[in-house]
Amino acid sequence: MATTTLTPAASAYRSGLYAWLTTTDHKKIGIMYLINSFVFFFIAGLMVLVVRAELAQPGLQFVTDATYNELFSMHATVMIFVFIIPILAGFANYVVPLQIGAPDMAFPRINAMSFWMLPLGGTLLLLGFVTGGAAAAGWTSYPPLSEDRPLAAIGSGQDLWIVGLVLIGTSSILGAINFLVTIFKMRAPGMTLFRMPILVWTVLVTSVLVLMATPVITSALIMLFIDRNYGGSFFDPRVGGDPILYQNVFWFYSHPAVYVMVLPAMGMISEILPVFSRKPLFGYKAFVFATAGIGALGFSVWAHHMFTTGAVYLPFFSLMTFLIAVPTGVKMFNWIFTLWRGKLTLATPLLFALGFLSMFLIGGIDGAFSAAVPVDFALHDTYWVVSHLHYVLFGGSVFGVMAGFYFYFPKMTGRMLNETVGKLQFVLMCSGFNLTFFPMHELGLAGMPRRIADYSSAAGWNDLNMLATIGGFTIAASMIPFLWNVFVSLRSGKPAGDDPWEANTLEWATSSPPPPYNFDHLPEIRSERPLFDLRHGRTAGH
Amino acid sequence: MSSSPRTRPTPGTVVTVSAVLLLIALAAAAVALGFDPLGGAQGFVTGLYPPVAVTEQGARIRDLYTIVFLVAAAIFLLVEGLIIWSVIRYRRKPGDDTLPAQTHGNNLAELVWTIVPSLIVVGLFVVSWQTLNAVDTAAADPETRIRAVAGQFQWQFDYLSDDGQTVLYTQSQAAGEGGGMAVPAGRTVQLTLTSQDVIHAFYVPQFLFKRDVVPGRVNQFDFKVNASDAGQTFRGQCAELCGTGHRIMLFEVHALSPADFDAWLDAKIAEANPTPPPPPSGEAGVTLEVSALNVAFEQASLTAPAGAPFQIVFDNQDSGVPHNVAIHKDLPTGEEVFKGEIFSGPDKRTYDVAPLEAGAYAFVCTVHPTMTGTLTVE
Repeated sequence: MATTTLTPAASAYRSGLYAWLTTTDHKKIGIMYLINSFVFFFIAGLMVLVVRAELAQPGLQFVTDATYNELFSMHATVMIFVFIIPILAGFANYVVPLQIGAPDMAFPRINAMSFWMLPLGGTLLLLGFVTGGAAAAGWTSYPPLSEDRPLAAIGSGQDLWIVGLVLIGTSSILGAINFLVTIFKMRAPGMTLFRMPILVWTVLVTSVLVLMATPVITSALIMLFIDRNYGGSFFDPRVGGDPILYQNVFWFYSHPAVYVMVLPAMGMISEILPVFSRKPLFGYKAFVFATAGIGALGFSVWAHHMFTTGAVYLPFFSLMTFLIAVPTGVKMFNWIFTLWRGKLTLATPLLFALGFLSMFLIGGIDGAFSAAVPVDFALHDTYWVVSHLHYVLFGGSVFGVMAGFYFYFPKMTGRMLNETVGKLQFVLMCSGFNLTFFPMHELGLAGMPRRIADYSSAAGWNDLNMLATIGGFTIAASMIPFLWNVFVSLRSGKPAGDDPWEANTLEWATSSPPPPYNFDHLPEIRSERPLFDLRHGRTAGH
Repeated sequence: MSSSPRTRPTPGTVVTVSAVLLLIALAAAAVALGFDPLGGAQGFVTGLYPPVAVTEQGARIRDLYTIVFLVAAAIFLLVEGLIIWSVIRYRRKPGDDTLPAQTHGNNLAELVWTIVPSLIVVGLFVVSWQTLNAVDTAAADPETRIRAVAGQFQWQFDYLSDDGQTVLYTQSQAAGEGGGMAVPAGRTVQLTLTSQDVIHAFYVPQFLFKRDVVPGRVNQFDFKVNASDAGQTFRGQCAELCGTGHRIMLFEVHALSPADFDAWLDAKIAEANPTPPPPPSGEAGVTLEVSALNVAFEQASLTAPAGAPFQIVFDNQDSGVPHNVAIHKDLPTGEEVFKGEIFSGPDKRTYDVAPLEAGAYAFVCTVHPTMTGTLTVE
């Protein structure tokens, strides 16, 4: 008799941990992306707590100069490359196939490989701490400093940093190809490009950015590796190299990387605001074009990180940097007019989304100061820039991640997170965040440079630094209700049902969590809100 | 705020309202701090405003900051106001299951909020470009030329002749008693920046200006300290991560009246050259000729007398390539007993070498360890 049932031994073998470690299911891989990213988020967060403790008062109290340089370099590297970029890729991994009505990613095995490169790459980055010193030349690792010449201050950790980042970059490239093929080839019948959820659009544009930019930084990293280990002369001016070349190549990737870090978060915000306003996204097509515009302009602004080098054609990069504010502004107005005359339910995902709007607004406006080149001469490489970048990457991306986490947790686990605890986390995180980073604007204007372990008490920076440190520990405290909420809700959270938020898109048309093949059947797709059409009838939305 | 019927606030409402209040407080603080300096006696913390500029160029940058700040504050208040208003006004009432109007967009509104911001940013660009042209200059004939040389982890200031070719005096102490870079207030100073090793940045907060000091590249900019600021000292600091001593790369700028500056510089020059320099090749001195071409020394071996000072005339013929001559005991990797100044060719330097004991030595280029030769001292 023919049967497809596995023998009992085989099915037992394929359960539990083994099933997770060998899975090619995009949903399990997506969840592993989230878990891995949060682990590295906590590691990099602990590093920066030491940094903030050190800066609370003048004098060196906790670490040496060398350790301090390792801590802030690795904080930024890990946060950017092993937390923000991968966690957004994780959300995309989980949600995109569901949103377009596909059973999985186009290349499930490559998808698993992309994921497994991340814990490996992240571990390589951190290994420096136990092999005589992690990378300590900043996350930018400008040569000649990062080339260990002429002062032997940077050890083998810098090589581990290079190898780790090349691995993580390869993971990103494979992921980008996978997303592009999935989005172009695996959409359900009726899902035309302009009926795709905005999150899918932002992942599409992000994948194009990753695909075009990541090979460029990989080349910079490999040149740095050759210079360091085989006596190359790409970036060493004493043997005919040019340190500015590295900066151009590095930022040609690393500025678009800012959009890699924020576009998918914008995509999640654009899913959340309509759901909790009970309205469609205002100006869907304008939003799509603005996203594509940011992606295109994003490749022409890299040298605004180099205004003070004296090696940049300043007016061009100034103009392009100002111009990129326009599509970003279009999005901001689209979001606000999605809320406008809506019926808002202030659940935790919406609170974090509103936090995103307000904090990203400040981060974006800060950008206009740096685009004005002479003002950037004053602000560059001071704490003002530290403030600006955290308003974009923490106030923007991390608030977006939290909004997405509260929004998608019920779909991923079948259980709701606790609303009251969620709101407590939001209030702690929002106030801690502003307490940390708002004073840094003033520190930077008052002349405090980045990346210094200590400062004179005569400089007048004491109080603001103390405020920032208190804020930093408040952010850390906000992680306690977060973790508590996750652990308790996983065990005893309220059952979510298929569609707890009355949402619009296909992922809510299947069970929570969805079956391995995602859908038993798909609703008709006649607009960008198939579930809304199903619930209210197709004419209600028009 | 809302004109709709009141309902009993839920715990969620209280939390939300406090978050909203926090944002309003932030907005208010942002505006207030910008106009309300809270700086201490010695610090320059002036809220959301840069310190008062002490150079002509810095004052123009501060004016530009004011324009950008006002536009930014207006946009922030407008947009944040819209967000807060939407949250307060458009709350869903408990039990309200009706849908709001399903507005998909408005072409006119979208056109307006594309075009108006475009005009604003292009306007800001034009204004900042004008300021840039005024502040980022290098005059052909500045009144004073100074060269700042940065290295891990100190600054050195060379006072140059009017043609910029000769070093009149080198201030090797960057801060503290008797140190610091003295500049004439009211005169245009052209500062040239060179690095001996990694990238540094010359940053004086009260200039509202910084410029990177990039190895292999000569950066320069002009500044003119206000005549009224003569007698003041300004704090400066390296602003580009340069290693473990980054934070100690401090320096001071002393603004002197032009008369005081001239007197100071003359005194320093006289002090540095108490007697005329000795003749190039003295009575008993030996002069060795070394030249470098195509990243190699032309001489394979040299001989020098033991126990007597001698000179090396080093001719670096490699255009744009830095070389020097250093002497190591026994082997090229041995203990360094002399290190000549590194400079780019084509150029010549004369090194004075202190007496050496008899024995075998190697001469090498510090920059290119493959460039070696032998030196016999007997």
